[in-house]
Amino acid sequence: MAVKKKFPYRAAVVACNGGCRSAEGEAGCADGCIGCKACIDKCKFGAISINEYGVAEVDEEKCIGCGACAKVCPQKVIHVHECANYIVVKCSNKKKGAEAKKQCDVSCIGCGICEKTCTAGAIKVKDSCAVIEESICLSCGMCAVKCPRHVIHDLHGILTEIR
Amino acid sequence: MAVFTVNGQKVEPTGNQKLLRFLRDELHLTSVKDGCSEGACGACTVIIDGKTCKACVPDTDLLDGRTVITVEGLTEWEREVYTYAYGKAGAVQCGFCIPGMVMCTKALLDVNKEPTDDEIKYALRNNYCRCTGYVKIMDAVRLAAKVLKTGVIPDDLDPDWNIGHRVSRVDVEEKVLGTGKYPDDFYFDGMLYGVALRSKYPRARVLEIDTAAAKALPGVEAVLTAEDIPGENKIGHLKHDQYSLIPVGGLTHYLGDAIAVIAAKDRETAEKAKKLIKVKYEVLPHIRTIEEAAAEDAPKVFDEEENNICAHKHISRGNADEAIRNSKYVISHHFETPWTEHAFLEPECAVALYDEDGDIFVYSTDQSAHQTLHECSLLLGTDRVKVQNALVGGGFGGKEDMTVQHLAALLTYATKKPVKMKRTRAESLLVHPKRHPFYMDMTMGCDENGNIMGVKAKVASDTGAFASLGGPVLERACTHAAGPYHYENFEIEGTAYYTNNPPAGAFRGFGVTQTCFATETLLNMMADKVGITPWEIRYRNAIRPGETLPNGQIVDNSTGLVETLEAVKKKYDAALEEGKPVGIGCAMKNAGVGVGIPDTGRVKLVFEKDKKLHIYSGASCIGQGLGTVLTQMVVTNTDLKHEDIVYERSNTWFAPDSGTTSGSRQTLVTGEACRRACDKVMEDRNAGKTIDDLIGKIYYGEYLAKTDPLGANVPNPVSHVAYGYATQVCILDKKTGKIEEMVAAHDVGKAVNPLSCEGQIEGGVVMSIGFALREHYPIDENCKPIDKYGSLGLFRSHEIPKIDAIVVDKPGLNVACGAIGIGEITSIPTAPAIADAYFRWNGERQYSLPLTGTPYERKC
Repeated sequence: MAVKKKFPYRAAVVACNGGCRSAEGEAGCADGCIGCKACIDKCKFGAISINEYGVAEVDEEKCIGCGACAKVCPQKVIHVHECANYIVVKCSNKKKGAEAKKQCDVSCIGCGICEKTCTAGAIKVKDSCAVIEESICLSCGMCAVKCPRHVIHDLHGILTEIR
Repeated sequence: MAVFTVNGQKVEPTGNQKLLRFLRDELHLTSVKDGCSEGACGACTVIIDGKTCKACVPDTDLLDGRTVITVEGLTEWEREVYTYAYGKAGAVQCGFCIPGMVMCTKALLDVNKEPTDDEIKYALRNNYCRCTGYVKIMDAVRLAAKVLKTGVIPDDLDPDWNIGHRVSRVDVEEKVLGTGKYPDDFYFDGMLYGVALRSKYPRARVLEIDTAAAKALPGVEAVLTAEDIPGENKIGHLKHDQYSLIPVGGLTHYLGDAIAVIAAKDRETAEKAKKLIKVKYEVLPHIRTIEEAAAEDAPKVFDEEENNICAHKHISRGNADEAIRNSKYVISHHFETPWTEHAFLEPECAVALYDEDGDIFVYSTDQSAHQTLHECSLLLGTDRVKVQNALVGGGFGGKEDMTVQHLAALLTYATKKPVKMKRTRAESLLVHPKRHPFYMDMTMGCDENGNIMGVKAKVASDTGAFASLGGPVLERACTHAAGPYHYENFEIEGTAYYTNNPPAGAFRGFGVTQTCFATETLLNMMADKVGITPWEIRYRNAIRPGETLPNGQIVDNSTGLVETLEAVKKKYDAALEEGKPVGIGCAMKNAGVGVGIPDTGRVKLVFEKDKKLHIYSGASCIGQGLGTVLTQMVVTNTDLKHEDIVYERSNTWFAPDSGTTSGSRQTLVTGEACRRACDKVMEDRNAGKTIDDLIGKIYYGEYLAKTDPLGANVPNPVSHVAYGYATQVCILDKKTGKIEEMVAAHDVGKAVNPLSCEGQIEGGVVMSIGFALREHYPIDENCKPIDKYGSLGLFRSHEIPKIDAIVVDKPGLNVACGAIGIGEITSIPTAPAIADAYFRWNGERQYSLPLTGTPYERKC
């Protein structure tokens, strides 16, 4: 479906990497995407699919940023952002360091390296998970290259692999 | 090991490193500028696989198989297009951000042939520019899009270089293509890297410095302390109060004080050595605020001073007390303005080496090469020093004091080798002088018609750790606090206090930015009291030719405040009519140092063997466009064409000292010196001499801008040779509270290059939009600045409103073809205009900056 988009483009982003194989059981992360497909069913534009890690992933080309998926997500891991901010946090894990580490290979452990790195003061660890304030982010990606857990992604695919 | 492509060549870095370091240090692709190395500024933007990327972010190991493009990799056609577009649009000032901006332009236009304005703003928004206010860079992108689409570069650059023409600047090509060199772009065989160890405490006595371990580190060539300085340790722009290196027994004044300098084979080794230096301190209580500095039992910032007062000024004319007592309306309030960081894009850097004459030669980024020479000579105890200005990536006052030139020179003196010394961005934020924070208490009295009867004020500034220009800034703040109005009763008392904060010094506006906020805000409040518009109260009080300013000076025919008021009136009235929140502010600013201080412009014009006339002047072009101004001066005042003229960057061995680039003075003062030299050229030309006859002949022009000292015993002292005047209007969108438009009308006497003038206005306005709405420079309990470059709150391209820059020409000044400098005034009336607009928006009058409760506040 071709929909005329208005600039600045917006799209949904799923704040989960899927490293815990979340659907597999209780040892996994309780905060991430559970692969329930509610978002996929809701999306009129076919913009969401389940990726190889079992979690929802948004195709920004197709997404119009209506936010319907975010509303139905039982885990509240989907939010709408401006596509121009291509550095995103793909994790919602609220557990503290060691526990978060145990639950997932690619979870935010709230170490704060990103916060210390950020020149703009745009990224803050809240509830043991990094959050980017997009209105002040300069999209440099320094946090993405410094993140020891590969939680922060460059959607342009230059600084981090698209996965 | 990663293998990737840079500008079509396969490359394999020897070890993993930041892409920026590899591109610059190994491939010498110096268009890729290092402005912060922390992801903020965007000066190092390159294109990787079609996407813009800041080269300081990725490691080379990450880039296997990628394709990287820098400005050096543009096709010949693209070079021509971007040079044309950026030049024609007037987008190039200091130039340091430009290669990064060009990369953003290319990345956008490669995939989007007809971008909308919003798309252009977004394409540039992760890159900072501090000079242009982005307006003309966005124009350049639009223009480049058009040219790329049509496939033809129009032949429409103004061929007439006479004064008044919108010519493309002389240095556009080298700045667009990145071939022009800033000091950091010089690389020499065997060049060492210098770093400084800075004080651990804002106020402590240095008891012992142990450099043995640092000296023993392989790769380290010199570790120098105060005792290694052959000449004077203490330097300073006016007052020599600043230790170059704090000696044992000496007191540190702030965290930026250097204690030792190290030269090593590379930066990493130098940094490692720095950590090996052991310093014993006696930690002492420090002074953080004006209140602490002024307290009776306050610790002294300087051993050498009796108290913490750097400067005290008292200016009085007429009888302000009596005038206010007899006024129908009196308003009094306390105002505060914050620290501001210059945030020029190019961090301070110098390269020193011994030249073939055996002299120490310094490539410098500064606001006066001769000042650099003077201070380096003082430190080294020899006059065998030469200074060459490289390109200067912005200054705004922040490069008036010595930065690293003298320390680089010292390291070269000790090692006999070339030394590059560059401040990290964090060091830059800590060390160089900032805009003074001011406390201001001001009272204004008016009659029933809104005529100002008298103004009385008391102000105090925090001048931080050393004098720098704290005295003159305070003086200018005081003299200009009266505003550009015709009244006789004015009294002001000002005090500048030393603290252990980073120093404060020159910053575009030079104290007037601060006091103007207070004066103009009071005037806006007064208009409401009187029941007339803020425009009307200004029109009634505005200084007109032949009238007397509160400082006693009778103003000349070039005085155009009224014309600037008239220039904004249509938009002002329309906005009022439509019920939009609108605010207004006026300002005056001196051009030239003034107040009796010798202020001389000097220019040499020489016909050289290439049969061209070369312009030499010891006056720094810091991005304002001096080279273009002087070239236009020569074209206007001789029979030569611009192709026959070469502007030479300032140096100290041939170009005569033409003073500091400060006080909006170069266009007028050096401009007049240039004009005088031109007259001599024309004497020969009119006598029938051909250029061949004149090869090797030197024409010298000098102009002393003569003024009277403050308090001179004459009825109407001439404080300054000229003043610029301005009116700025801020119109808000009622619904969103965002600025819809800034209208800025500036009287410049005669605009040498109206395109450049607009660029100055747009840049100055955006800088002060930041000052009014968001920029800050917080300092913690230990006198340490907290912010990084990216969190200073500088405005970004997608946030700027429409700016209507109106250049008002008004003849009457009989020097420099009537041209009055515009550098500083562009930033002065902005904040009060914005503050008043927000008062009209939400009914809340604010007396300190930056304003709160606006849509521009940072969200975290």
